[in-house]
Amino acid sequence: MKIKHHDKISSPEVVREGFEKLGYICSDAIATAMYLACQLQKPILVEGPPGVGKTELAKKTAEYLGAPLIRMQCYEGLDEVKALYEWKYGKQLLYTQVLKDQLGDILRGARGLEESVSRLHQFGDIFYSPEFLEARPLLQTLQVEDGAILLVDEIDKADQEFEAFLLELLSDYQVSIPEIGTIKAKSTPIVLLTSNNTRELGDALKRRCLHLYIPFPEPALEAQIIATQVPQMQRQLREQLIQFVDQLRAMALKKAPAISETIDWARALLLLNVESLDRAWVRDTLNLLLKYQEDIEIVEPELGRLLNPKN
Amino acid sequence: MQQVLNEFIVALRQSDVGVSPAETLDALHTLKIIGLDDRPRLKTALGLVLAKSQDQKYLYEQLFDRYFQVPGAPGAEVDEPVGADATAAQNPEDPMPLIADGDAAAAVVSALGRQLLDGDAAELSLAVATAAREAGVNQIQVFTQKSRYSYDVLQRLGMDALNREINTLNQNPADLGQQLLLTRLQHRRQQLVDQVKDYVEQQYLLFAGQQGRRLQDESLQKVRLTNIDLHHYQHMTRLVRKAAKQLAAQHARRRKVAKRGLLDVRRTIAANAAFDGIQFRTRWKSVRIDRPKVVAICDVSGSVSRVARFLLLFLYSLQDVMPRVRSFVFTAALTEVTDCFAELELEAAVSDLLNNWGNMSTDYGRALRELDAHLLSDIDNKTTVIMLGDARNNDADGNAGVWERVYRRSRRVIWLNPESRVSWNTGDSIMRDYAPFCSQVEPCNSLRDLTRIFSRLLRHS
Repeated sequence: MKIKHHDKISSPEVVREGFEKLGYICSDAIATAMYLACQLQKPILVEGPPGVGKTELAKKTAEYLGAPLIRMQCYEGLDEVKALYEWKYGKQLLYTQVLKDQLGDILRGARGLEESVSRLHQFGDIFYSPEFLEARPLLQTLQVEDGAILLVDEIDKADQEFEAFLLELLSDYQVSIPEIGTIKAKSTPIVLLTSNNTRELGDALKRRCLHLYIPFPEPALEAQIIATQVPQMQRQLREQLIQFVDQLRAMALKKAPAISETIDWARALLLLNVESLDRAWVRDTLNLLLKYQEDIEIVEPELGRLLNPKN
Repeated sequence: MQQVLNEFIVALRQSDVGVSPAETLDALHTLKIIGLDDRPRLKTALGLVLAKSQDQKYLYEQLFDRYFQVPGAPGAEVDEPVGADATAAQNPEDPMPLIADGDAAAAVVSALGRQLLDGDAAELSLAVATAAREAGVNQIQVFTQKSRYSYDVLQRLGMDALNREINTLNQNPADLGQQLLLTRLQHRRQQLVDQVKDYVEQQYLLFAGQQGRRLQDESLQKVRLTNIDLHHYQHMTRLVRKAAKQLAAQHARRRKVAKRGLLDVRRTIAANAAFDGIQFRTRWKSVRIDRPKVVAICDVSGSVSRVARFLLLFLYSLQDVMPRVRSFVFTAALTEVTDCFAELELEAAVSDLLNNWGNMSTDYGRALRELDAHLLSDIDNKTTVIMLGDARNNDADGNAGVWERVYRRSRRVIWLNPESRVSWNTGDSIMRDYAPFCSQVEPCNSLRDLTRIFSRLLRHS
């Protein structure tokens, strides 16, 4: 990738501070991973529970480096037609109809099938040329002049075949299209793959990537994140809130609250003009934090203890 | 530098973190980019490159700490608190004064002796590490080699000369200065021996600590399930889960195989109805692979119960690829235990089940009669029936007619017998009655058998 501002990735600290300015507070591991990915030109596989900022990382990277972000959401049944390229069948058909007369002119006077075909051949594969190629996210990425950020979101949701298909792209930054040939990247993109671990990814894929695991953040880091995202919030309330969420994560819940949920909750509390966490407020807004009724039922009777951990 | 990294990677592989050569190269590049000054960052960065899952990261972090803190270990450029043994010279509890009595100390001629008296811990550690590498301590395989390697390292450090010198000093008990020197030398020698022993121990843990477990794993795979000792159960459970997980990963592939190139005319026409029948969108034929519907029936009497435990464990560890398993156990009465597994923790469920239903006298006839009454209607041509039993029916009627009906209705019938083929049909075993009505009859003794049988089952269905 042609990075316009090389000083932006001169060291992990610089990366980290740059992200911080964009409102993305990251741990040292994340900054180091981004730094290494730029330096080694390797894709990063980002794993972690939902809501810890995996997708956000890609968005901020694109913003930070001033490169376009191309996002590909994976799902079961995703294939190369949807991910890489497709022929514009409609356009091909339309053109053959429009050019019918021209074709007639060319073929006029040709004797026999053989001569007609050889005349047609003189014009090459007009209908299978790049003009008729519909570029899908992967091909688009390779075509970006100065390199792009490619986000392959939730790769674990895609089939194993698709994972195998990605290998060529990830190691050589090129793809093969039978009718045209191999297309190489104009400039190496930075690739981020995210996974929620719904299935184990293949070793071949993992081997080609840097592996970054983003856990739930430490309370101090989370406080910093909330402070950036919801700056109007009072410090005392913020600390109370983070302590509360931290305790929730230690409980055996079906889905522990992630950072994004903490932020939503903080915003809601701000909107409601809550000054300090009390039982009534928490009970009313708990559904922002916990997404399963069972979890809410587990937490509700414990609220008193959770809000006053010292007693 | 490269060698240090290589050794670290060997140690990683020993603790089951698979590192490929390509990753080794990446690690080297990373080293160059990150440098050696910032230890925490180096640790994070190498972790990104070398450990590719959460549990691997955990192992990696432990190993990194252990590997790069060995006093004087190659590559410990990073400033680290040196191990306690190596700090003998700075040790405040050291009974001897630091500065040697000039004349007496000068009398020490052996290189090692002087080095010991100088008391430079870092230098000594380096010497130990160098000697250890020359002795090839990182090739250590089993714990019995520890003392041999320690001895070897001490020899290379020049222990012989030191011992001779101590002996000479010993022959002259009158000179007080020499006696003082002697005590000090003996004391330091003991410290050195301890240090070397510790170092070898560390290396053993790094490079061979996992070896023993691996050997055990391998032999447990082959051993007859009926012969496994109780204290191996925990271990065995882990192995069963691991094998099942491997199998699940192999067969978790797609459920649809698209026959590319075979046009599905009907669906193509339907899909293009909107375009006035012009074929814009093509639809291709595909074959759907069904997950097998499995009914497992286990005899849990006597000796079979042990195998049953592992079979059930295996079946339920395969839930990812075989979600529709119904399981039944019997000795005389047939009971469905599918829900036991849904509710209880697996291990608890299995032992609960064996406690409740095991150890009664077997009656295949009655069990099959009950099967006929309750279960037979649920068995259809998509069902695979797995029976685990030794077919020892205490000389009663086996009711093989029911088994024939099961065979006719189901897709496949697999009979697993924990006894080896030679003992079938001996004594009260009535295997010959059932065998004609089975698609497959297999002796099933070890974990390896189980893996093989299930692998085939998953491939065909």
